[in-house]
Amino acid sequence: MSEPAARPAPLSTVAAARRVFDLSFGEMLWSRRTIFMALVVGGPVLLAIIFRIVEAFGAPALRVNGARVAGGSVFGVMIWMLYIRFIVPVLGLFYGTALMADEVEDKTLTYLFTRPIPRGSVLLGKYLAYLACTSLVVLPSVMLTYFLTVPFAQVAATFRSLVLDLALLGAGLAVYGAVFAFVGARLKRPLVSGLVFAFGWEQLALALPGYLRQFTVAHHLQSLVPHTMPADSTLSVIQGLFRQTSSVSAALTALGLMLVVFLWLAMRTVARREYVLEQ
Amino acid sequence: MAAKTRYFVLTAAGILTAGLTTGLVASYMGGLPVALSHQAGPDDLAFVPPDAIAVGYANVQEVMASELRQRLRRMQEANPDSPDRHDFEEKTGVNVERDIDAVVGALLPASGDTGGNPLVLARGRFDQVRIEGLARDHGGEVSDYQGVRMIAHTGDEKTMALGFLAPGVVAVGSIEGVRGAIDAKRSGRNVMSNTEIMRLVGELDGNNAWAVGRFDAMASSTGLPGELQQRMPTLSWFSAAGHLNGGITGTFKAEAKDEEAAKNLRDMMRGVVAMVKLQADGKPEMRAFVDSLQLGGEGKTVAVGFSVPAEMFDALEKMREARRPAEVR
Repeated sequence: MSEPAARPAPLSTVAAARRVFDLSFGEMLWSRRTIFMALVVGGPVLLAIIFRIVEAFGAPALRVNGARVAGGSVFGVMIWMLYIRFIVPVLGLFYGTALMADEVEDKTLTYLFTRPIPRGSVLLGKYLAYLACTSLVVLPSVMLTYFLTVPFAQVAATFRSLVLDLALLGAGLAVYGAVFAFVGARLKRPLVSGLVFAFGWEQLALALPGYLRQFTVAHHLQSLVPHTMPADSTLSVIQGLFRQTSSVSAALTALGLMLVVFLWLAMRTVARREYVLEQ
Repeated sequence: MAAKTRYFVLTAAGILTAGLTTGLVASYMGGLPVALSHQAGPDDLAFVPPDAIAVGYANVQEVMASELRQRLRRMQEANPDSPDRHDFEEKTGVNVERDIDAVVGALLPASGDTGGNPLVLARGRFDQVRIEGLARDHGGEVSDYQGVRMIAHTGDEKTMALGFLAPGVVAVGSIEGVRGAIDAKRSGRNVMSNTEIMRLVGELDGNNAWAVGRFDAMASSTGLPGELQQRMPTLSWFSAAGHLNGGITGTFKAEAKDEEAAKNLRDMMRGVVAMVKLQADGKPEMRAFVDSLQLGGEGKTVAVGFSVPAEMFDALEKMREARRPAEVR
């Protein structure tokens, strides 16, 4: 009688997360969700191309109270209004909440959970794939927008703030991704809860005086933005009135804590939760 | 990793690497090579020496054609006390509205105790023979410097000069200033190589009047009282830009030497703006201007934006009319 085949030794969390990353990255990059992401990050690039064409003909692309708005300021406004306030939370929300939800919906979670790997590493690998996927789409889009809007003569003077913007957007994607990965792993209707958090709770807390803003990602992220906050709507004027920025170290510490805590909570939830796949 | 995924990753990484490398090179060199970058500011900056303390520009044609200027002109013509605007043309042979397209002004470092050396470069259409003739009639001496024709006139304290630098470009200012302009153009060493000034100029491109300069050097060159200089926060650079059409919109930006000084100045300006708003409560004609005052800036910069609507000039004219004695009216 032959000996039964020895079960392979379970992989460590990091090694398993790497395997899941390899599997998920390409899948995530060429999913239908990426078309949505391409449209969202393509918007600022398209606006920047229009800006550059109009400026190339010598006409001012943007005037405020009759005064021409310089390319550097236009880029700053785009970072605030399009990337920080919209693109980063939206991508974090759509991808983060779907990390586990997609596997549950497609009923493919069983295949991952029957592998000899820690359950938490499934989420970690998928989270890293999300981070790589969104960073590789968002950051080049910021780079293109920057070189299209900022005149070459001002590159030397504004390059430092571009590097800060890139780091900041990377941090934003990481933290929002971790928060929404937890929401996706924990709640049944994660998208609705995520939308309420990103565009309800965060906006409200920023407009209120007091300490509530400390419980938002946006407050800490916005404390690090090197550009002046635009007053483009009544809500942002109110937010500007009560705006209290954290110090750089406090904001970085808060963002780092949120990232670690929510990622750990998400991994723990995935490891402990019994997922029921509806037939 | 599938081939298409690999290509995507390589393309995205390539864009990021190319952008970061370009930015790093620009930061290290203080700017990108001229061939790659669009030069900010008017071409006549090539006549301004590299050590200029301040530089300003006005698009005379746009300003003269502006609705605001036309309004002021109508007011001036209606006012019998206003000086005859043909006087200037008779004395100099230049009609500002017709002959000048744009003006670049600069303040150059003083030589000795003479204060700053002013330099004005006007681009337009000039009748050299007529101007020379009028200058001679007023005691001007014609000479030649580096092949450029110059007319010098010695007044009570200073010798002022006028030089025909290039077809359509006239320089007026102190004799040192005009000679400096000729040398700058000839040697290619001009204010365009001054990265600090050009950085500020780049931000203001597109306005029809602007000025940038080193605040500390200007304060001492223009003879600002010593006590006032000491009381002013440690400002290093300033820039001011305006756009004239129906009214005037403008911004004034100053860079302090450190963030603490900038914060103090912002606090002080906030107080001044609040006081102005309180004062304007009883003056509805000032309301639009006062409401347009916006304080901004971050880090080491302090910025104030304003907008003066055309209606405010009407209100001021009415106030002036009301104050004039009845017999004059």
